[in-house]
Amino acid sequence: MKITELLLTGIILLPVSGIILMLLWRKASKTQAAIVAIISEGFALVIPIILLAELRTGQPVSFSVPWIPMLGISFSLELNWLSLVFLLTEVLVTLAAMVYSLGEKRGEKASNFYYSLLLLFSLGMSGTTLAEDVFLFYVFWELMLIASVLLILIWGSGKNRSRVALKYFIITHIGSLMVLVCLITLQVQTGTASLTALAQRAGSLPPGMQQFLILFFLIGFCVKMAIFPLHIWLPDAHTVAPMPVTIVLAAAMLAMGAYGILRFPIALFPVQSMQPFVIWMMVAGVISEIYGALMALAEKHVKRIIAYSSVSQMGYILFGLGSLTAQGIMGGVMHVVYHAIVKTLLFMVVGIVLHAAREKYIQDLGGMAKLLPVTTICAAIGVLGISAMPPLGIFTSEWMIFTGGFRSGYPVFLTVISLIGSLFTVFYALRFFGKIFLGELKPSDSTGNPNKALLVPTIAVTVFLLVEGLAPAPLLTWVMRGLSTVFGGAY
Amino acid sequence: MSGSFSVVLPIVILVGGAFGMTSITMFLRLKNKAAAVLTILILLSALVALIYVVDRAPDPDPSASAFYGVLSPDGILFKVDYLGIYLISVAILVGIFVSVYSGESLSRDHRFVLYYPLILLTISGLLGLFFSTDLFNIFLWVELTTVSSSALIAFRYHHEAAVKAGFKYLIMSSLGGMIMMLGVYFTYRSTGSLALSVISDHTDLFTRIGAGCFLVGFWIKAGVFPLHTWVPDVYSQAPSAISGLLAGVMSKSMLFLAPAVCLRLGMSSSELGLFYILFACMNMLFGSIRLLKQDNIRRFLAYSSIAHTGYLMFALGIGFLYELEAAITASLFLFVSGAVMKSLAFLAAGIYEYYLHSSDVEDLKGVYRRMSLPAVTGSIALAGLAGIPILAGFNGKWLVFSAVLEISEPMALLGLALFLLSSVISLGGYLPMLAIQFQPSNGDRSDNAGTPVRDRISIWMALPTAGLVALVVLLGVIPSPWLRLIDWFMDWVSFL
Repeated sequence: MKITELLLTGIILLPVSGIILMLLWRKASKTQAAIVAIISEGFALVIPIILLAELRTGQPVSFSVPWIPMLGISFSLELNWLSLVFLLTEVLVTLAAMVYSLGEKRGEKASNFYYSLLLLFSLGMSGTTLAEDVFLFYVFWELMLIASVLLILIWGSGKNRSRVALKYFIITHIGSLMVLVCLITLQVQTGTASLTALAQRAGSLPPGMQQFLILFFLIGFCVKMAIFPLHIWLPDAHTVAPMPVTIVLAAAMLAMGAYGILRFPIALFPVQSMQPFVIWMMVAGVISEIYGALMALAEKHVKRIIAYSSVSQMGYILFGLGSLTAQGIMGGVMHVVYHAIVKTLLFMVVGIVLHAAREKYIQDLGGMAKLLPVTTICAAIGVLGISAMPPLGIFTSEWMIFTGGFRSGYPVFLTVISLIGSLFTVFYALRFFGKIFLGELKPSDSTGNPNKALLVPTIAVTVFLLVEGLAPAPLLTWVMRGLSTVFGGAY
Repeated sequence: MSGSFSVVLPIVILVGGAFGMTSITMFLRLKNKAAAVLTILILLSALVALIYVVDRAPDPDPSASAFYGVLSPDGILFKVDYLGIYLISVAILVGIFVSVYSGESLSRDHRFVLYYPLILLTISGLLGLFFSTDLFNIFLWVELTTVSSSALIAFRYHHEAAVKAGFKYLIMSSLGGMIMMLGVYFTYRSTGSLALSVISDHTDLFTRIGAGCFLVGFWIKAGVFPLHTWVPDVYSQAPSAISGLLAGVMSKSMLFLAPAVCLRLGMSSSELGLFYILFACMNMLFGSIRLLKQDNIRRFLAYSSIAHTGYLMFALGIGFLYELEAAITASLFLFVSGAVMKSLAFLAAGIYEYYLHSSDVEDLKGVYRRMSLPAVTGSIALAGLAGIPILAGFNGKWLVFSAVLEISEPMALLGLALFLLSSVISLGGYLPMLAIQFQPSNGDRSDNAGTPVRDRISIWMALPTAGLVALVVLLGVIPSPWLRLIDWFMDWVSFL
């Protein structure tokens, strides 16, 4: 076993060790559990960075051992430039959420269980991005769902959390089952479970079957992305979940749907098989973008405003991917990263505001800038970020997405509508900031001085957002390499 | 008498063990735990004898040498049935777990003297069913399982509902037995013989009617919709461990036994497959819809069992209708995974009942704080039944889907769609049931210092549940050894 293979398995096995340790350490305090979780998750951040040198040689880092030989299933992992982008995004978001959890009241009881589930949630996402075998992909795909459902069920707020968790589980599980049917069909019809081999063979399947698979994959992954009208699980789940879980759900898990679309329908099937779906993906993207923005504009619950913003932002990503142009896809992937950063920041800000004001409706809030000056600066940068103000990152990704739209060869008005629709994003972002931070202080018994555990990660994410926006070159290079290795120049 | 006595040795051990241990227990005044250990030893001996039978069969065609009895058309003859050996081995395994568990759960009942022998007789009845080569003996063994199972179901005779459930099972099973007897009549009228080997060469309309009668008879014992009416009452009223044994192994075995008889009586593979698929769909939907609104955990598990009977029937139906070996492999895997998951779920429910004196779902709220072991093990069983990776149920689901998608026939795909629908519906039951155990409860028992009081679970109950959890996880994470075993058995299964 080569050292690189060992390191690659470490991304999975070290967090697993952390989970086991925490489950055994029943008397661990919240801080102790958090330290174990952060260290375990830290490995998933450090190892891919170490493996960057190997990736630069032009070859992906892979590891494979037979798992269920009779079914042709193996435990195969692969780190390439594309999975690297999604992996690092997800790990960074989870790390930020873990630190942020220290300042949250939730998770005080049975914190070992809480942090092990948070780690399992992240492990599911890491495994999804690294899986090179369809069986393994689905196992990790479901792990992330199970962990998140349990987190909502046990630590969610409100009496209706069981109903919300059930709704979230059943709706996303229906999407997962559609993906499962596609994965098994691919395996039995091509005789391989390896994604690399599937990329060679899936194109030779009968055209009708290819269309069926693409359709099912797209619906299945769009459920996870919460694209309108498959988004109905999202607002409730984001509202009920504890804030750190909401952060991971919105900033990282939704992106897994985009990753699925990239790895399966787009990467496996020829361009001509995808063509009939292009217009529908773009239309669904635009509708989701505008619907999400309008709902965010009308919503009064602060958490739900940001939740609906996710529906809108996922619309941009689907629009970019659906354009099937190099710029559009690249913009979509970059939007995943920038959205993750901005969404993490905005939810962290909301968390601090809710702690300070103990009010959750926007009409009951105001003048928070007087109490929370640092948070206000972070919020302002976050709001500018989501509004796609240059030089912040989302400006770059949206630029590329719209360029992809114009170059897609489909009616220009679709991209124009999308561009106009982005104005609604600015409206809800400004309403969010203005109503909460400006004007008279409401409610009067609000308290300042947020917990450092809440403020420090918020500031760190803000700085990261600025750095990413000002220096997008490394990310752009990674994404370009990722797309060329996975798609081999098809787009 | 000719042939090898080793063929009937497992049956002799089980039946002889049943009578022997009754005498020993009464004569030596053994305690419940000692009787449980004795039962485990008898079951282990039967398992070793079964392995010995498999090991001794040198010829790939078991009909050539692996038999014992009178070699004449009217003689009583037992033949090695490899499908039976596979299923009975699982039954014995579950029986061992059930016996260990009963070492504690029966400690409040002095009638354990009868309890363990009845378990042995029930399992031996199943073995006799598979090894019999003529219809009359099959009928007799069916009756043996009916009588012993009915007695076990009504074991808590001081509960009126338990007696009613036992009586209901007895009536339903006897009805099945009568229908089988009718099948015997039709077959004998037409062929003049009861030996399956003779009948299979002279099938006609009457033998086919006989096949239909046997199919209905076996389906009553399997709890197939709409002949399932005994299932919720029986599984909720029998001792929990017995419910696990019946739901996990005994009733499901009938689904494999029916083809072994019906195909020899002239029913075609495609007809059988079609019947199985049609009724499988009804079972899946009925079971999953009805489990949603249950307020008793054991009735919930009973309806879940009806849905799982549907999944198993669907896999078998696909196997017969399209003569697809992969689907039969899937059904054999579903059988073992269902056996361990269902018995685990019933054992966990039994622990609740034992300590809480209730099986109402509402009383399970926050029970994790009081009893973490059944909460965790029961949740693993429920997650496995829901088909969550990386547990045994998921691999079964994967195998069934693979088989169906391999053939991509419209009927199979429609059945698969209903399978998916059923599994999504049943999630609406599994998830709340799983969650309620971990939710905060206002009624936590606390000591003077305010610390919640935790019940100490007996090691006799903890061990079998832990063992079954290990199996559920192992069949999920490392299914290859078991799949290889199934593959080996598949070469020997005669009806294929």
